[in-house]
Amino acid sequence: MGCLQSKHRRKVRAWEDPFVLASQTAFSVSEVEALFELFKSISSSVVDDGLIHKEEFQLALFQNRKEESLFASRIFDLFDAKHRGSIDFGDFVRSLNVFHPNIPQEDKIEFSFKLYDLDSTGFIERQEVRRMVVALLRESGMILDDESIERILDKTFSEVDVNRDGKIDKLEWQEFVSKNPSLLKIMTLPYLRDITATFPSFVFNSELEEIVT
Amino acid sequence: MQSPVYYALVNPNLSILMNMCFIFQRITIPEIMKDEWFKKNYKPPVFYEKEDADLDDVQALFKDSEEYRVTEKKEEQQPTAMNAFELISMSRGLKLDNLFDVEQGFKRETRFTSKCPANEIISKIVKAAKPLGFDIHKKNYKMRLENVKAGRKGNLNVATEIFQVAPSLHMVEVRKAKGDTLEFHMFCKNLSSSLEDVVWKTEEDMQETK
Repeated sequence: MGCLQSKHRRKVRAWEDPFVLASQTAFSVSEVEALFELFKSISSSVVDDGLIHKEEFQLALFQNRKEESLFASRIFDLFDAKHRGSIDFGDFVRSLNVFHPNIPQEDKIEFSFKLYDLDSTGFIERQEVRRMVVALLRESGMILDDESIERILDKTFSEVDVNRDGKIDKLEWQEFVSKNPSLLKIMTLPYLRDITATFPSFVFNSELEEIVT
Repeated sequence: MQSPVYYALVNPNLSILMNMCFIFQRITIPEIMKDEWFKKNYKPPVFYEKEDADLDDVQALFKDSEEYRVTEKKEEQQPTAMNAFELISMSRGLKLDNLFDVEQGFKRETRFTSKCPANEIISKIVKAAKPLGFDIHKKNYKMRLENVKAGRKGNLNVATEIFQVAPSLHMVEVRKAKGDTLEFHMFCKNLSSSLEDVVWKTEEDMQETK
């Protein structure tokens, strides 16, 4: 066994280099390092392989790895930019970047559109909105009859679907969100401004420098 | 009884204080704070809180609360009905703040649903919060409850808001705006026991129906 390191050293791939990630995002190098602390704890919670799997994401979000949610799955799929069924550190940082308070509204609007466009057709169709409303009601234990649900959809579509084609395109979404800015509340995480205080990276610093050099 | 060795090295005022702490009786924190030795160069802590993004718009809301008192008659009859996306964005699956939750176990916000009319919900919350020592600020269907007494991290400040899902169905959000999360948790427990006849489904119920 000789002088084998007892601590498992994660290989840092070029696209996950904190300096590169900092240059591509609103985060500083130390903020990226702090995010790595968070990433480590989430990605090792079920399987310690340096990747966040769906169950680990669910565990972090709901404190319950088995709890499934249409919306959490959607977020997971968007974070999994390379469509490999898991989120690596680069994906994690670049995706969280959109939620940074300093990121322009346009980027957040675009992300939210993709979020709600469940089947990625480039439009948010009425049946997709219905599906999401039903999912929210079920999640909150609320029961509404179909008529009431249709009334909610009618009211929403009369406001957002300007060209009356039964679906919401990017432009209509942009208009709608600028009239209802509270809809973008979910797209900003104030915590990201203070991440180095929440996850001190003084331990991590030396670890990463050794790996990179 | 022989005094511990360290007493010889220490300021005599401090040693008197320490005697009181350790030897004579249990001194309380407020008593310590009144002691002369303690007060020397003492700066009371300022609690820095990460506040929610929308605190600004809630503050703006209450800036003109003076005007509100005069124009009470103009108050909306019902909270505006939520559109589909406002409803959807309430999902827990979209609350990524939870990824950063270091204070595991105690949530910073909770919600419940009610079949009561909005005005009734409001008056029941007010009736429940006042005896717990909270000052109430109300504007339409948003409220700010502030604990008159300071807690572990300053005065607990709670924001509540009522949303209409359907004419006979409301969702009430209770959120910690400032203060200690554990105290917020206790407040919610007290509140929910006083609101038993208003609450239809709590968050715990919502989890169990899965």
